[in-house]
Amino acid sequence: MLSVRHLTKTYPNGKKGLQDVSFTAAPGTVTAVIGPSGAGKTTLLRSLNRLITPEQGTVTLGDQELRGADAQALRQARRQIGMIFQDYNLIEPLSALENVLQGCLGQKRLLPGVLGLYTKAETSHALALLDEVGLRAYAAQKTRDLSGGQKQRVGIARALMQDPKVLLCDEPIASLDPQSTRTVMTIIADLAKARNLIVVMNLHQVGIAREFADHIVGVNAGRIVFDDNAAALTELAAAAIYEKEATALA
Amino acid sequence: MISNPELTADSLQPAKLTPTPRPRLRAKRPARALLLALVAITGYTLTTLAPHGVDLGAASLTFLRNLRLMFLQPHLGQETFAQLSQALLLTVALALLTTLIGAGLAFFLALITARNLAPRSLGDVMRSVMALIRAVPTILWVLVYATVIGLGTEAAVVGLSFHSVAYLTKAFAEAIEEVPKEKLDALRASGAGFWLTVRHAVWPLVRQRLLAWTFIRFEINFANAVAVGAAAGTGGIGYYLFMASAFYFDFQEVGLIVLMILVFAAGLEMIAVRMRKSLLTGN
Amino acid sequence: MPNAVSVMLHHQRRVRWGSLLGVVALVLASQVVLRVNVHQALFGVVAGWAWLGAHFAPNAAALADLPEILYQLWRTVLVAIAATTVAGGVALVLGLAGALPTSHLKAVRGLVRLFASLMRNVPFVAWALILLFSFKQNDFTGFLALLLMTIGQLTRAFIETLDEVGPGPIEALTATGATYWQVIFQGVLPAVAAPMLSWLLYMIENNIRDATLVGMLTGTGIGFIFDLYFKGFRYASAGLVVLAIIAVTIGIELTSNKLRQVLNA
Repeated sequence: MLSVRHLTKTYPNGKKGLQDVSFTAAPGTVTAVIGPSGAGKTTLLRSLNRLITPEQGTVTLGDQELRGADAQALRQARRQIGMIFQDYNLIEPLSALENVLQGCLGQKRLLPGVLGLYTKAETSHALALLDEVGLRAYAAQKTRDLSGGQKQRVGIARALMQDPKVLLCDEPIASLDPQSTRTVMTIIADLAKARNLIVVMNLHQVGIAREFADHIVGVNAGRIVFDDNAAALTELAAAAIYEKEATALA
Repeated sequence: MISNPELTADSLQPAKLTPTPRPRLRAKRPARALLLALVAITGYTLTTLAPHGVDLGAASLTFLRNLRLMFLQPHLGQETFAQLSQALLLTVALALLTTLIGAGLAFFLALITARNLAPRSLGDVMRSVMALIRAVPTILWVLVYATVIGLGTEAAVVGLSFHSVAYLTKAFAEAIEEVPKEKLDALRASGAGFWLTVRHAVWPLVRQRLLAWTFIRFEINFANAVAVGAAAGTGGIGYYLFMASAFYFDFQEVGLIVLMILVFAAGLEMIAVRMRKSLLTGN
Repeated sequence: MPNAVSVMLHHQRRVRWGSLLGVVALVLASQVVLRVNVHQALFGVVAGWAWLGAHFAPNAAALADLPEILYQLWRTVLVAIAATTVAGGVALVLGLAGALPTSHLKAVRGLVRLFASLMRNVPFVAWALILLFSFKQNDFTGFLALLLMTIGQLTRAFIETLDEVGPGPIEALTATGATYWQVIFQGVLPAVAAPMLSWLLYMIENNIRDATLVGMLTGTGIGFIFDLYFKGFRYASAGLVVLAIIAVTIGIELTSNKLRQVLNA
């Protein structure tokens, strides 16, 4: 269980990122965070693995609290949280396999990690994951030469390499065409079930959220304005989330 | 549409793959090989470089002491501050004039060099000639002209301009070549001739890049103008720099001259930053 | 709306004429300071080439100097490569400390940038001459002069390269729980290797060009023997030096263009 309680983040320029945000995400389900641009979706997601540090509240994964964790504990926690990005954030001159292998850097000791010395077991695990996302044949290709959908699948394999409990997806399909969007979303939804993953993703397509997510959290102006099953997201509720100054729904 | 790799469906990709018996798993990295080669050459060179009869420790200490003298205790030597300022102004003017001459000529030469504007053969000839001129060190042009037309500003102006023209023609032509063919065709299709295409399609798209290159060249020309003054004796701040360090061994005066140059460079950088900003916003 | 358009057009016109007048003013101001004899300068352009053709054509006597010229040229190329590579190592460390995505202390970043700017702007004549005083006339002095003038340039270039990588790949690897040095070596360096080596090649080219000048000032390498021949009125030999420099410079330029293509493939 990933549990978020009373998260508050104010940026140095005074802009409110998050205000008293609370929700929980369960294993084996996809939680979609939706809301207008600038509502705080990205801040929220990055707070979960503390790429951004909120000043108040708690993020608890199992029995571990992340917001106040020290550097050592934070790295430990991050190993259990895989992340994929809108722009994939792959190391483009490297092969797909090498990018996937980087997912296990957190588990490696400093020197082998720095030198990029991976074990046979790690390599075959990475190949198996590439197979799982349907890219086994592209292992040796530079990721620069892959299509957007393929890049995102490499990103997913990299996240899985960490053997994570949580998968954070930051606008995973915002740069993809409709066909790749469906491929990527299907892979993510299946993974959540098959591996009992806690998946939290930022989305801006309500239709996609309703189709692939189990649980939907609506954010507006740094506050939670909707928190329910995907089935409960009516047209009216969706419209309310995207209103300029949404008021909290009961 | 399909030719855009971002839009191709996955099914189109496998055609690019050639099956290999033992798949390579890491991307080829020529960078590593090149780096190793450079390091090897460097290692070899360094082992053969040790100077005879020079105590490196003592030499380094002298060097550091002189640096301290330069930067912490600068003062006037043989010349007055007014003389040095006058000389600096001369050097700046030399760099400025040669850069502007270079940029002006290079713009037109670039038009007959760029692959997307000029006939192929003409462009090839231009590129070769410019490469040839660039391969001759600037200082050499200045020395040659100093011999032919006498030691003076004219030799420096002609010598520095030569190299600037060749350098900027290459840079400008490459900038122009980045203008997509479609944009040129759009204007040509409307019946615009060569000069109208240049004026309304090429110029607006490349002027920022050209300005940036011109700035870079000005920096190079300034350094060259100082160097030419020192090595060929054509005057300016470089000449005093040479006299102060190679004749009078007055490192405090060297320091003053260097600081004057640094102040000027800082001012220049501020102007460059401001110009870039106003270009970006005032478009 | 038409009002806004006319304001914009007016502004454009003002900028256009302003820039044109500015350039003309700069040219005139330079001319006032320099007092160039335009007639003489233009005459020189033609006369210079004629003079070159008449005096610089290598003859049989000059060929006797060829082994020495080639040896000095070889040394010069080696020294230029070594100086650039060592400068690259120093600049890499400084670059990591000075770039936004890899360095978290604002003060350190500022300090590195200031240092790079200082090193870049100290005229290389000054470096060459002070080094000559301490290290005397030998190849090592030429090496140090090139090294010092390259460090500043490469540091700035590397900082820009690292800044362009942006936070993306770094964020991705940080999120896997990798440590700082793992992120640098596995994420950042592979991403910037090609552009950084491209810069290194460019600086090697540049340094070989500048080696003539540095050599004249420090009395080393190809610049020194050119100076020797030129001042001794042995123009044919000096011409041979120039031909050799041209051949090597163009050769290096072509080679590094090839290498760059391979790097970016």
